[in-house]
Amino acid sequence: MSKDEITGICKENIFSSFFKSHAKSLRNYLYYKFGNEDQAEDITQEAFIKLWQNCADVPLEKAKSYLYTIANNASLNVIAHQKVVLNYAKSSPNKESTNESPEFLLEEEQFKSKLLQVIEKLNEKQRVAFLMHRIDGKKYAEIAKELEISVKAVEKRIHLALIELRKEFENFK
Amino acid sequence: MEENYKLSKWLNDEMSAEELSEFQADKDFAIFEKIKKYSSELETPAFDEQKMLSKIVTSPKKEVKIIPLFKNWMVRVAAILLIGMGLLFTFRNVASSTEFADYGVQNTFSLPDNSEVVLNSGSEIQYKKWNWDNNRSLNLEGEAFFKVAKGKKFEVNTTVGKVTVLGTQFNVKQRGNYFDVSCYEGKVKVNFGNNEFILTKGMSVAVRDGKTIPIPTKNNLKPEWLEQEMVFHQESLPSIVAEFERHFNIELELNATGNGQLFTGTIPAKNSDTALQILCTTYHLKPTKVTKTKIILEND
Repeated sequence: MSKDEITGICKENIFSSFFKSHAKSLRNYLYYKFGNEDQAEDITQEAFIKLWQNCADVPLEKAKSYLYTIANNASLNVIAHQKVVLNYAKSSPNKESTNESPEFLLEEEQFKSKLLQVIEKLNEKQRVAFLMHRIDGKKYAEIAKELEISVKAVEKRIHLALIELRKEFENFK
Repeated sequence: MEENYKLSKWLNDEMSAEELSEFQADKDFAIFEKIKKYSSELETPAFDEQKMLSKIVTSPKKEVKIIPLFKNWMVRVAAILLIGMGLLFTFRNVASSTEFADYGVQNTFSLPDNSEVVLNSGSEIQYKKWNWDNNRSLNLEGEAFFKVAKGKKFEVNTTVGKVTVLGTQFNVKQRGNYFDVSCYEGKVKVNFGNNEFILTKGMSVAVRDGKTIPIPTKNNLKPEWLEQEMVFHQESLPSIVAEFERHFNIELELNATGNGQLFTGTIPAKNSDTALQILCTTYHLKPTKVTKTKIILEND
């Protein structure tokens, strides 16, 4: 993902393109972790400021792992876990299919709201891995790199997250 | 293991057609399919990237300040003081320490291993504090009583001979060419010239001008001088006078002749007048006080 320029990240245009490609996913990752928007954004900003200030010492290809390391270290001090508040995209592709029966639509709404609740109940590790994949559309390998774990571990977390979710839906039925 | 994570494989669209059709037959497939579908429609709260970016880029870049360690003269002074104190401390420990007792007084002190030493008047001890426990060796000039704590070899060196012990109580006296050692507890080894003596409790050895002098076995637990007595064995008058001077911190001038006899005996040493009286009677002398601390002894 990172273009291998030799010129440093100190150049403002390089920095801002780097920021644009990583800020949101870092902030989302931290958000899944803490369930707190402000905290997630604070740490994101803090991590980027550190990167900006030390840009001379950080080569571009190391910048991403530098960023996540700082964010992970900063989040060690943050324990509070609040609810992860998520929304459904307004323009979901299946909105077009309006020829569904009202019962079906109602059931669908129920399922959606239940899904949110159930995701909140997942443990932190499973939730983070699961949402990084579902919302940010990251590959397992990317998630593994950012969480500093192996791909196998990511697969395990996602697998367990799915099992956990299904279990909750069983009670829901 | 692979089998365990089939759900993650499926979620990532990695399943083969075969695995997929097998999974589709699963009764839970419908739920998983729904989870997959709806979870992909999720999104996080809005995030104002541009605002954050401009904040970051305008954040002041930290300047790396180099503060020279010795810029401040106070720091220099403190450093010099610290080094000086360190040197002083080392020096005090490595260099030899000296303990002495002036004329007329006794000095009691402890060595680093808590061995006790009582220095008789006009005596001096030199030793090294550093590594004392492994090198218990000291130099004595004069007379001292030792109560040695148990431990490694303990050595007392004098100009005449050497005393070696392990843990005991003993007295060492050295005056010019005279040297005597008395043992009050344990065992003491005494070397002088090529001779070696082993003393046990109550035994003493005395040497004058390289020749041993017999001393009777003692029963006391401490040397007599600690109990304010002076003991002499075949001592000449000038030696006794010197001992008196040390003990009472007085000045004696011997203006007498023909007093060649040697003296053996004990003189109470609490009071200088009484002691002088005894000495004068024995040697037929007449003491004349010139000043408070100077006395002339003449033939009676």
